[in-house]
Amino acid sequence: MSERPVSLARLSMVGIVCISLFASLFVRLWYLQIIDKTEHVRATRINLKTVREEGSRGRILDRKGRVLVDNEITRVIGIERQDMSDLSAKERDEVFDRLAVTLTRFGIPTKSAAISAKYDDRRYGPLELVPLVSGVNSPALEVYLAERHELFPGVVVRRRAVRTYPYGAVAAHLLGYVLQINEKELAAKREEHKALRAQDSDVVVKPYQGGDEIGKAGVERTYEDDLRGTPSDKTIQVDARGDYVTTVKESKPRQGDDIWLTIDIDLQAFAEQQLAQKLEEVRAKGANTKSGAQRNAPQGSVVIVDPRNGQILAMASNPSYEPADLVNGISSALWAKLNDKKQGQPLFNWALQGAYAPGSTFKLISATAALDSGFLTPANEHFNDRGSYTVRNCKGGRCTFYNAGRVRLGTVDVARSITVSSDTYYYWIGDQLWQQRGRFGTTAIQDVAADFGIGSVSGVALPGESAGWLPTPQNRKERHEKSPKAFPNGSWYAGDNLNTAVGQGDVLVTPLQLANAYATFANGGTRYVPQIVMAVTRPKDIGRNPADPDNYEVVRKIEPEAAAKVEFVPGAYEKIWQGLVGVINNGAGTANSAWLANRAAFPLAGKTGTAQVSGKEDSAVFAAFGPAYSPNNPIAPPSYAISIVLPESGFGGEEAAPLAFRIMAPVSSGTVPLASPIAPPPTEGGTTP
Amino acid sequence: MITTTPTSRLRNRDMTAAWRHIDFVLVALVAVAASFGALMVYSTTRHHSGTSTVGKHLMFVIIGFGAMGACAAIDYQRLRDWARPIYVGMVALLGGVLAFGSTHRNIKAWFDIGPIQVQPAELAKLATIVVLASYLGTIGDRLRLRHLVVALVGLGIPIGLILMQPDLGTTLVFVVIGAGMLVVAGIPMKYLGLLLVIGVIGVGYILNSDTLDQYQKERLLAFATPDRVSEKVSYNTQRSQEAAAAGGFSGQGLFEGPQTRGGFVPEQETDFIFTVPAEELGFIGAGGLLVLLGLITWRIWRTAQLARDEIGRLICVGVLCMFVFHIFENVGMNLGIMPVTGIPLPFISYGGSAMIATFATMGLVMNVHMRRFS
Repeated sequence: MSERPVSLARLSMVGIVCISLFASLFVRLWYLQIIDKTEHVRATRINLKTVREEGSRGRILDRKGRVLVDNEITRVIGIERQDMSDLSAKERDEVFDRLAVTLTRFGIPTKSAAISAKYDDRRYGPLELVPLVSGVNSPALEVYLAERHELFPGVVVRRRAVRTYPYGAVAAHLLGYVLQINEKELAAKREEHKALRAQDSDVVVKPYQGGDEIGKAGVERTYEDDLRGTPSDKTIQVDARGDYVTTVKESKPRQGDDIWLTIDIDLQAFAEQQLAQKLEEVRAKGANTKSGAQRNAPQGSVVIVDPRNGQILAMASNPSYEPADLVNGISSALWAKLNDKKQGQPLFNWALQGAYAPGSTFKLISATAALDSGFLTPANEHFNDRGSYTVRNCKGGRCTFYNAGRVRLGTVDVARSITVSSDTYYYWIGDQLWQQRGRFGTTAIQDVAADFGIGSVSGVALPGESAGWLPTPQNRKERHEKSPKAFPNGSWYAGDNLNTAVGQGDVLVTPLQLANAYATFANGGTRYVPQIVMAVTRPKDIGRNPADPDNYEVVRKIEPEAAAKVEFVPGAYEKIWQGLVGVINNGAGTANSAWLANRAAFPLAGKTGTAQVSGKEDSAVFAAFGPAYSPNNPIAPPSYAISIVLPESGFGGEEAAPLAFRIMAPVSSGTVPLASPIAPPPTEGGTTP
Repeated sequence: MITTTPTSRLRNRDMTAAWRHIDFVLVALVAVAASFGALMVYSTTRHHSGTSTVGKHLMFVIIGFGAMGACAAIDYQRLRDWARPIYVGMVALLGGVLAFGSTHRNIKAWFDIGPIQVQPAELAKLATIVVLASYLGTIGDRLRLRHLVVALVGLGIPIGLILMQPDLGTTLVFVVIGAGMLVVAGIPMKYLGLLLVIGVIGVGYILNSDTLDQYQKERLLAFATPDRVSEKVSYNTQRSQEAAAAGGFSGQGLFEGPQTRGGFVPEQETDFIFTVPAEELGFIGAGGLLVLLGLITWRIWRTAQLARDEIGRLICVGVLCMFVFHIFENVGMNLGIMPVTGIPLPFISYGGSAMIATFATMGLVMNVHMRRFS
């Protein structure tokens, strides 16, 4: 064989090509491993998986430490998306079909398409569990799925704590409920936490992710940050099959803090029961024989506060609902039912979301205004009630106003006007204050009303509170200018002042505002922010009694907070006091007959109200406080203030006052029946949200 | 007592005896590479299969050494005489696999013989090198057009059959082997240029025809435009590059690489074996492996230079091209600079046929090396 010189030269060429190929591999390797650090960071993160275990929520206790909201363990069936990522779309649909059939067989009717839709729900992160069915109490299903893991890749059963309500529906509106966090709330919480961390990098927040529960109503909502448990922060390294390799970082889940409500569950349950019974009685009476209006009594409220500190002892709103029905999510049918106007909107807490004309209960404020302004003096306190009142120099609106039933009440002073509920006396006051507005200002009554808390939210830590409405010449004008169609009348006439003075016209108060106004008077003029939570405690041992002082540490105590001070000119307080006491114990008092039928163990003072609502039966209103031994009694100051509002029910003295006395009688004698916890009904299966 | 050892006697008798010129450096390098490969295979498979995979792997290595010895033993000059039957047998095997072979991952390339699977394309590489070298080494002092045509037709038949499997990567290996051998055999530059043009047109045609499966096209596209193709296609290279990047300079430690331990790199013991040293041993380990393979390359190239004749030289060139292309393509796709094809990394990747074939090619090189004086 001859040696071809060309081949050796060409061989060198091939050698050079080989060297350059190796060189390029080296360069690339150097670049990847030494220079490009960002890829490195990503790579190490990929094998890490955060395993989260929810910390259960804190409990809700009453003022004596009785558990009103507790937790119990149920099962959630969900999907781990990561474990399904290797499946083809067809295989995945097969798993979904199989799962739907299995769930349905175990008594949880489920559609494959619904599972598929959940799978695509981007609220859940790639490493988060996508919950499909919650509240599964069937261990058989858990076992079935666990034993057939290869048939259900990515399907997991996780245990979860859900809310239980030992007292059933009692205090449902106050407790509220929890549901899955929605996208808006999730974004808001993340923003909030981001802001917190920006302020203080060491701040400990309780993070949220899709599928987590959040308080949506009641104290569950307002005390969310305390009640929420801290989820575990456990980072593990897993292999591609999702099997555990090692734990990188771990913190245990922690239960949220317990909150102590100011309510007494016995009183709350009793008030709710009495209210429900009263509403039944009212409805049973049928139509008003005089006016023909139906006594529908669609709803009702009872609020009891402690005048000494503003603590809410009971707050009943009827109709109510079973919070247990919302534990595993709320169906649209149930949601519609709970918001149905025909059923009185059970989800509403009428005691603070409802705004009603206060009627004559407002005379407490008008009387205070008349006395404080100096319009009423001992020399100019008497007025002859002839049953009607005609505005002098009447320029617009109604000009002649009548007492209820057009009764003539004769000569009345401040005390008597309250006791017998003379409208004419207050028409006179309203008219005069307006006619002499150069001297008294245009809002003499409203200024005092505002001090009593009318027209503004009380600030109670419960969501959805209504501010009611306190009409003034100013806000009437503004409202008219803003929407002339809805409010065609923008002027304020003397007649409006008359109406306001007797709690009619546009005046609207919430039952809570009403109770708080009377509590304000009862304690001598200090208006407190109504308090629903009195303390937050951190349990040491969840298994033990949360009310045992050795078993918790106090996170914080919520102190009474004064919002305003109502001043009384000398002698005014006593005169009004006398009138309010007379309503109940004076033979001419509007609540006297109700009182005689059901006396409390200590004296009460109060005021009835019968508010007219056009086209409907009157609202029966009553507000009272006790013990009412004497004004400014340092030994036994009033410790209860109560308001009753029963719309479309009739006279305050006939319907509302008796209910108040029925509740106050056992309260005053310390014989309120004990509320008994109910056993939670056993449920099998679960519900699909 | 002084005895004369048989070796010293032999040295005196025949200084040109072939076995006296065995390239022990190459043997040692191959042994080190194969051991390193076994360790890497063990690292990636020990979690799900313990020692069973690496056990099989070592068995292939031993068979490989046997194949290497066999290929070195018979004088390559005599292989020339068997060129025709070798070629016919190869075409028959490649045709047979299309008819009777089993399909894995859409490629019909394996004969199932009991529990083991044989990939005839691996043996075909070996056969093609021998046959082509035999032909091009005996055409006299100039490569003429008719020689080129014969060589191209001879190459075209196995390439066509492999393209029908369709195994794109192996096809490319044949193209590279053929191109390298033709270049060294003295193909005139004008023909080389012409072939290049034909090649480019051919590639364009193949891409637009139905020869390749969609996934193969996607792989190529994934390489060219990673953002435009489905997530699944770029997943492999993504993961392999992340594993390599995670290794850094000194690596995560043997058996400690999270990606390797966790089995995050798909097909890591075969096509993506390079990520194991890259992640666990870092730049030192992966670079060291490249140096080791580079040294083997250098021994092959050196043998090509030393070859006593054109046939031996061309055999070495064929092996060199195949070896380097395997390394460049495999490591390149591991590092994200080459498209993903099923090309194993010589001596390192798990896989019997390829392992044995690689050892056999080394045997051919040793064959040429030890007979350079005869």
